[in-house]
Amino acid sequence: MSLLGVEDVFTAYGKIEALKGVSLEVAPGSITCLLGPNGAGKTTLMMSIAGILKPKRGRIVFDGTDIAGRAPHAIVGRGVALVPENRLVFPGMSVRENLLAGAYQRGDKAAIEEDIERMFGRFPRLKERAAQFAGTLSGGEQQMLAVARALMSRPKLLLMDEPSLGLAPLVVEEIFRIVADLHKDGATIFLVEQNAHMALKVAHHFYLIEQGRISFSGTPGALAEDEVIRRAYLGSSRA
Amino acid sequence: MIDLAQNTLDGLFLGSSYAMLALGFTLIFGVLRRVNLAYGPAIMLGCYAATWVHLNSGAGLLALAAVAVLCTTLAGAYVERLCFAPHRQGSAIAAMVASFALWMQLEELATLALPRHIYPFPPLHGGTPLEFGALTLRVESLVMLGAAVAACAALWWILYRARFGIAVRAVIDQPGAAQLAGISVPRTFMLTFAMASAIGGLAGFLVAASHEQVTPMLGMMFTLKGLLAMMLGGLGSLPGAVAGGLALGLLEAHSQWFLGPQARDLIAYALLFILLAARVPWMTTRSAS
Repeated sequence: MSLLGVEDVFTAYGKIEALKGVSLEVAPGSITCLLGPNGAGKTTLMMSIAGILKPKRGRIVFDGTDIAGRAPHAIVGRGVALVPENRLVFPGMSVRENLLAGAYQRGDKAAIEEDIERMFGRFPRLKERAAQFAGTLSGGEQQMLAVARALMSRPKLLLMDEPSLGLAPLVVEEIFRIVADLHKDGATIFLVEQNAHMALKVAHHFYLIEQGRISFSGTPGALAEDEVIRRAYLGSSRA
Repeated sequence: MIDLAQNTLDGLFLGSSYAMLALGFTLIFGVLRRVNLAYGPAIMLGCYAATWVHLNSGAGLLALAAVAVLCTTLAGAYVERLCFAPHRQGSAIAAMVASFALWMQLEELATLALPRHIYPFPPLHGGTPLEFGALTLRVESLVMLGAAVAACAALWWILYRARFGIAVRAVIDQPGAAQLAGISVPRTFMLTFAMASAIGGLAGFLVAASHEQVTPMLGMMFTLKGLLAMMLGGLGSLPGAVAGGLALGLLEAHSQWFLGPQARDLIAYALLFILLAARVPWMTTRSAS
């Protein structure tokens, strides 16, 4: 059974439909990756799952419950955390406070402190900058903080919207190493990525979204063999 | 020299009430990015409720203060539901105009309940002012200052030490990310509004007790002084709101002494105009922390 099932979801901005009947599944314990060109609806889908946007139609079944149209904080409470595009840390709050904000719905103070220490173990750079305003961090550090903040809610499903966007290649590698580590520790991750090469190294299943519809679903092997996708996303020079 | 010192003292006391009003305005502006013109009238209504209780019962000052704070908070919640909850994503102007309409409504409500133009309000302290050498101090002023300091301290504790403070500051900082962190933004709006109204209600009670009277014009006064002090301190900054309130009080006390009561308000507006026109840095940046 899948952890997340998106079933025939339509989401519109006013009269403009960004998602035109999207269906996909995320298996528990997997890394699933959504590819697609700009404006295809990747971020719209992420925001629909997280509750920021309300789908007009369709179901979003998470852990057996339809969460479509619920309030964002209620969806976080059910165990879905989104690392948003462009990170969106709280710039005027310290790194530590950003992490506390991520755990806002939890009442277990002692366990929250333990989790903060665990995040500092996983992201040593954040520990060094614990008291610093998040706005003063580099782009890569902010991305790590955004991931750590999302993990602080102890999600069953981690959504990541283009975590490599605007980061230097070395930092991108580090981010994907973190994604792989999280998966090793049992996390389920649903990832939006433009960087198909990096995604191929970690993801177990791929979807391609074009103009608001899913146009491809398959394993990394099938993705690499698909002529059209290879040309568009992996560069035709690669065999 | 003594006059200068006395004016400065009076200005600080006056300014401490403005600082509380500006803090309330700033909280609302910070989390909602909306100007709430009905803030002052809601406080006025709280003062009227306390006056009504005073006229119809022998309630003591503490009970009256509680009535003022409670009714201002209720009126504030009403304003939030009607003006700001429906326009969260929409136009800031629509919310502001709606709050202006509620201003009129709250003023009508007050004058329907208590139709005379002026009603007496019990003083905090009936006795003579304290004297320190050539300086005189009204007990009311000391209470006002003490209350302002206590309100600032309580607010600081809530915002920087309590769990709820994380939610308020997160919503001010980055509302989109706040909801992704599991913070209920509508609930934070509502509670912040209530908190701002409670501070305003306390300030209103102290002002009414130090004037020893209430009039429906109090609403306009609270809104104008609070807005002015908030803008002087830089939109959205809490320490700035306190500084702006004190600065406004000092400015008014001194200009009243040197230039007369007519010039008092004029000077404050002129200063605001000059600061806005000169684009001083702290007025054009918006931060709340």
